Amino acid sequence: MIPNIVIFRPHPRFRNHKSLMPKQIYDVIVIGTGAGGGMAIKTLCEAGLKVCALNSGRRLDPEKDFRNHRMSYEMKYRGFGDPKTRMKDTPGFLDSEYNQGAWEHDIAFTTAPGTRWMWPRCSAVGGKTNFWGRSSARFGDIDFRAATLDGYDVDWPVAYDEMAPYYTRVEKMIGVSSTVQNRPSNPDGVYLPPFNFRCLDMILRHGCQKVGVPYLPDRLAQLTEDHNGHPACHYCGDCTFGCEVGAFFSSPWFLLPAAGASGNLELKTNAIAKNILVDDNGHASGVAYLDRESRQEYEIQGRAVVVAASCIESARIMLNSKSRQWPTGIANSSGQLGRNLCDHLYATTASGYLPQLLGQPNFPDNITGNTIAWMPRWQNLEDAHEEKFIRGYSVYPDGGCAEFPWYYDKIEGFGSSCKQEIKRRYPTPVSFTIQAPTLPSSKNFVEIDPEAKDSFGIPQARIHFEWGDNELRMFQHGKQMSADVFNSAGAVLEYAADEPEMPGFSLHETGTCRMGNDATKFVTNRFGQTHDVPNLFVCDASVFLNCTDKTTTLSILAFTLRTNEYLVEQFRRANL
Amino acid sequence: MAGQSIERREVLRILAVASAAATFPGFSKWSFACGHIGKKLAQIKPAVYQPLFFTSPEYATIERLTDIIIPADDTPGAREAGVAEFIDLMVSRDSNLQPDFRNGLRWLDMHSKKTSGQPFMKLNPGQQTALLEPLAYKNKFRPGEEAGRKFFARVREYTMLGFYTSEIGLKELDFPGLIHSYAVSPSCPHKDDPEHRHLPPAPALSKS
Repeated sequence: MIPNIVIFRPHPRFRNHKSLMPKQIYDVIVIGTGAGGGMAIKTLCEAGLKVCALNSGRRLDPEKDFRNHRMSYEMKYRGFGDPKTRMKDTPGFLDSEYNQGAWEHDIAFTTAPGTRWMWPRCSAVGGKTNFWGRSSARFGDIDFRAATLDGYDVDWPVAYDEMAPYYTRVEKMIGVSSTVQNRPSNPDGVYLPPFNFRCLDMILRHGCQKVGVPYLPDRLAQLTEDHNGHPACHYCGDCTFGCEVGAFFSSPWFLLPAAGASGNLELKTNAIAKNILVDDNGHASGVAYLDRESRQEYEIQGRAVVVAASCIESARIMLNSKSRQWPTGIANSSGQLGRNLCDHLYATTASGYLPQLLGQPNFPDNITGNTIAWMPRWQNLEDAHEEKFIRGYSVYPDGGCAEFPWYYDKIEGFGSSCKQEIKRRYPTPVSFTIQAPTLPSSKNFVEIDPEAKDSFGIPQARIHFEWGDNELRMFQHGKQMSADVFNSAGAVLEYAADEPEMPGFSLHETGTCRMGNDATKFVTNRFGQTHDVPNLFVCDASVFLNCTDKTTTLSILAFTLRTNEYLVEQFRRANL
Repeated sequence: MAGQSIERREVLRILAVASAAATFPGFSKWSFACGHIGKKLAQIKPAVYQPLFFTSPEYATIERLTDIIIPADDTPGAREAGVAEFIDLMVSRDSNLQPDFRNGLRWLDMHSKKTSGQPFMKLNPGQQTALLEPLAYKNKFRPGEEAGRKFFARVREYTMLGFYTSEIGLKELDFPGLIHSYAVSPSCPHKDDPEHRHLPPAPALSKS
């Protein structure tokens, strides 16, 4: 079944005749339809507000576009995608033959000299939630009050007690499978039964116990039971290529249908937001966008605007929204718009194999497509300065019988013996990936390139980014701990990365529109409402103070729910 | 283990794929597709493959190399899986790869003529293996053969990519995903042996 989303398409006769289009003023214009946009759209539509949502790409049809059930040999390029057209420098699972056509190719960006950055963007309706990793841990006071604990940067303008009810409601809405774990760094939530541990998890957990590292079921927004009309997972294993039955959270399966059913949503696809329009008072009055196909520019009017285009794109749209009142970009009187870009440092801290499983029969280890377990932050819990770095990192283990034997390059040579060794090793591979937060830094930010424009004529984002010492120290620490775990689990360590993955790889960028009480230092207030422009709201990870050791999606959903209920309240009080 | 196969999914896959797939390059060797358990589709008569990028002699060499890297033994190998066709397709679409392969093939023949007086394809299988071993095994590396090692690593990489994404290759590994789905998330069957120190030799995993 296809989610029931209302699609607005002007009749072809009217497309090029702006003046013939009915002039409508929406209550709210939402830019983006991913985790933040989707939650904003649902909350606003259900409250009875008339919403126009802009999405820069097309809508996906689960039955046609989610190719997760195809075997590699059922695709022309065996799932890798056409080398000629595939995005370069992109992790293999993105823009592959399984999900090609959903990723942004036309909107370029630049990097400052010395900066390496990859920026994979899913322009399809639902954004990256179509293909995300589904790990869903709450942020806690250890994150919100980190500055008080270790003296670096500033606290968040919210406390955990205030956010907890929103996390609970989001978890109940989307379904998160995990266990209550009583970890000081990870507040517990409301969970469906966890995914069961596989052989490799049992072995690694045993090894972790011996060196005092937690090894627990991850928190996955993936259903182990039917939930709110969504079917339980059937454990086929290719989740990162999309789910055609909607057994894990994504905006098109879980948020947009309810918005569509309310009758209050008008969704414009292939509508690339260019800038936010302002009235004489400098308040947001609408959005100018370009139709991706016709390249025609349109303007729509709204009483409020929600920007939820993802961290860097939201900053770009706002920085490109220059006017008499906002000469450096809308809501940028603090000069902080685009600043404090953070990302997760990702790297393989250990990979190798479990000799215990050599030659054992195959096991469907890939039932979630990736993580079943995690090693949640265990550093600097009692004393914020216990380690040579502040704050902490988490580690995701992975392994087992995968769809492709990537460990082949660890086995040299050719011939029958090589072939048989690949077969013997098939159930055994394991690898650890570190997720280490960068600290906010004045060196890491997004600005508008003074010269370069994209193919739509819109000035491009220019990204400045480098790893800092703190996260690099975490990386070294993570390698040592991973080696210890491998050793105590009886695993054979074959490789640890010398360098982290390219910045941007995690797709967890935060910052650029940080929230805070001081209007001179922060772009938005504690509700995600910009200090300068009361009818402009930001609903993605750009409002986060930093990226913590947790993934961002669950928190985007919780903060967006809160922001939009606040927005609805402002409408009720006629403040907007 | 509690498990079930999903009929609906199989049907979807066949519908989505069967019509298009038989026309893909890289599949002339083996009957396409839908090699579903208990189903045999009509074999497509192998046509003579017309390479997209390689010349005929180049293609023959590539096919021979794939055959040496993953030979048929108790189970079919790279030749049976049509790996050379996959390599030809990928190289034809990737201008960065083309010089690696073309120059590498040239190096291989020059090297072969220098050491044995014959191009690579004229050597007997034992001579071919002897020529490749110093390119493939660290303890047999020889100075001056860096270009050859780089080429062999490239061919080996694409042979692996092609073989283990073919139906034959995934059967070789007994890849357990996608074909099966499960009512509950599969769990380790050795709960009394968390370290897995005492596993029974090769027990069969039931997938009912």
